[in-house]
Amino acid sequence: MATFQRHRLTPWLLLAPQLVIVAVFFFWPAAQAVLQAFYVEDPFGLGRTFVAFENFARVLASAEYYRALGITVAFSIGVALGAMALALLLAVLADRVIKGAHGYKTLLIWPYAVAPAVAGVLWMFMLDPELGLISAWLGALGIDWNHQLNGGQAMALVVMASIWKQMSYNFVFFLAGLQAIPRSLLEAAAIDNAGPWRRFWTITFPLLSPTSFFLLVMNSVYAFFEIFGTIDATTAGGPGGATRTLVYKVYEDGFIGYDLGSSAAQSVLLMLLVGLLTLLQFRYLERKVQY
Amino acid sequence: MTESLHGQDTAMATLSLNALRKTYPNGFTALHGIDLSIDDGELIVVVGPSGCGKSTLLRMLAGLESISDGELAIDGRRVNDLEPAERDIAMVFQNYALYPHMSVADNMGYALKNRGVPKAERRRKVEETARLIGLEDLLERRPRQLSGGQRQRVAMGRAIVREPKVFLFDEPLSNLDAKLRVQMRIEIRRLQKRLGVTAVYVTHDQVEAMTLADRLVVMNGGHIEQVGTPMHLYECPASRFVAGFIGSPAMNFLDARQTHGTLTLPCDTRIAAPSARDAIDTPVCLGIRPEHLLPVDEPDDTTLTTRVELVEPLGADTLAHVRLEGQDEPLVARLDGVHAVAEGDTLYLRPDADRLHLFDHETGRRLDDKDIHSCPSSPSSHLA
Repeated sequence: MATFQRHRLTPWLLLAPQLVIVAVFFFWPAAQAVLQAFYVEDPFGLGRTFVAFENFARVLASAEYYRALGITVAFSIGVALGAMALALLLAVLADRVIKGAHGYKTLLIWPYAVAPAVAGVLWMFMLDPELGLISAWLGALGIDWNHQLNGGQAMALVVMASIWKQMSYNFVFFLAGLQAIPRSLLEAAAIDNAGPWRRFWTITFPLLSPTSFFLLVMNSVYAFFEIFGTIDATTAGGPGGATRTLVYKVYEDGFIGYDLGSSAAQSVLLMLLVGLLTLLQFRYLERKVQY
Repeated sequence: MTESLHGQDTAMATLSLNALRKTYPNGFTALHGIDLSIDDGELIVVVGPSGCGKSTLLRMLAGLESISDGELAIDGRRVNDLEPAERDIAMVFQNYALYPHMSVADNMGYALKNRGVPKAERRRKVEETARLIGLEDLLERRPRQLSGGQRQRVAMGRAIVREPKVFLFDEPLSNLDAKLRVQMRIEIRRLQKRLGVTAVYVTHDQVEAMTLADRLVVMNGGHIEQVGTPMHLYECPASRFVAGFIGSPAMNFLDARQTHGTLTLPCDTRIAAPSARDAIDTPVCLGIRPEHLLPVDEPDDTTLTTRVELVEPLGADTLAHVRLEGQDEPLVARLDGVHAVAEGDTLYLRPDADRLHLFDHETGRRLDDKDIHSCPSSPSSHLA
């Protein structure tokens, strides 16, 4: 104990690199954003005026903002549900594979190593109205695909690209979760007159709920924030703002529109929104997934 | 004689195993043709060392492992290709396999629910079973809130509430402490008799096997070594393997040479052979149970001279671990009461000539074959 007391500084020194990184790249910018949200600043940063909550009031009064919010919510639900459902399906299938299981799993995990922007571009090319392979097939089926003009299709494109990317992450966790379920539980259920479908919904799925909950939080955060790269590389929020999510609007207003005050206010709101969402999930869902 | 739990007639169930084989895709054969027929209401204990195929056999009965060859019939009906649920069996797993996200009541009612039993009836049956095994106060608990013994009880209750034709037990007591194990062993026996359900019980614990079984099946290397009542197996083991496996402490084995009716032990002790074979200086394996080595005061040519290595006083009797003088053969003798023997003492032991077991030196099979039938508890003719 005495030795420990004397080295009171050492733990801090060991933590320092991580703390510095978090401080410089998170707390400082976040604090700047909060500060900036209370000022109106000219695009060149030559002068600024304190306006208290005016930026927030302006944002919350604009129809544009609520449209972006709606798009974000739709997008998040689509990505979280899609990526989780598909990942669960793949994990259940991969869990059954015995021969070459390792190969399958590795292949399914790969997309996670692809940068969001690259994933977006990949899907954009496949679905390009002129050159795309998939859009050509869709054309043959009589579906006129053009996400550059059709807002719904543009939304579908970014949702698909995000699902494809996030699915790998979910897959890893679902697979680990599935493998942690003792075989004897499923055998006991099989003896207890439960068919495969029933076994899945009454045993496997409830036992996966802690994993599902964790992934729901992670996927929501992903859909709210990390989606920026995918959208910027594919639709850039278009056409006509159809894929302009909250985080993209922050970027557009701040770095294209140079309305720094409004952009900062929006990012503060976004932070609060995600914080609130996570809090709600923990408060209401986590209690239900304990067993 | 048998009492149904819910007032209906208990289903009769016989099991017949006909040349059951299990061969895995990699070519490994776990079971080489198992023949056995099990009577209604009988408790069969399958015992053997790890890897002898006993668990595989049980899982094949349950339908959790496919049957490679042979036939399995429940009540005369071939069930080889039926799903576990269609066989009307219940299984108690080694780790209990309770559903952690369900209450005790839901765990017990799960099978009934899957069968579409109405809620009210389900509740009645679960409560009735809970009373039977003393779980009525725990019905709303989750498995993780229960002790090991309580979990074991829930696993039993889950099997009982379904009123299956056959109970299967896969080493159900191995996760309990010694005291609880003895208690649950008695309880299982009592419940099984009371409900009159046919049961197959797998264990590697020979004490558990001896105390529970109507009939014991000793397995080794994917074969059945012997089937019979516990006392029959104890008194007339058909092979050296069974002799060594049943009984604690294990039977002592000594190399001996037989000439007609006389056995010569390595230390020149001569004793009368249990069967006078036409043999001249033939090597045999002599088996003597620890309680059949009787201490005597004076040595003669029918006694073994031994040196005491370790004394284990158990209260009712004393185990003396000894070595044969000059031969270093380790032996165990069970002496009545508390014996004043100490480490380093010389102990003269006389093998009880009426209770010797002779085994073939090569095959390990029992030599006095005809004597098997004159054993106190004669073997039942259940081997199909």
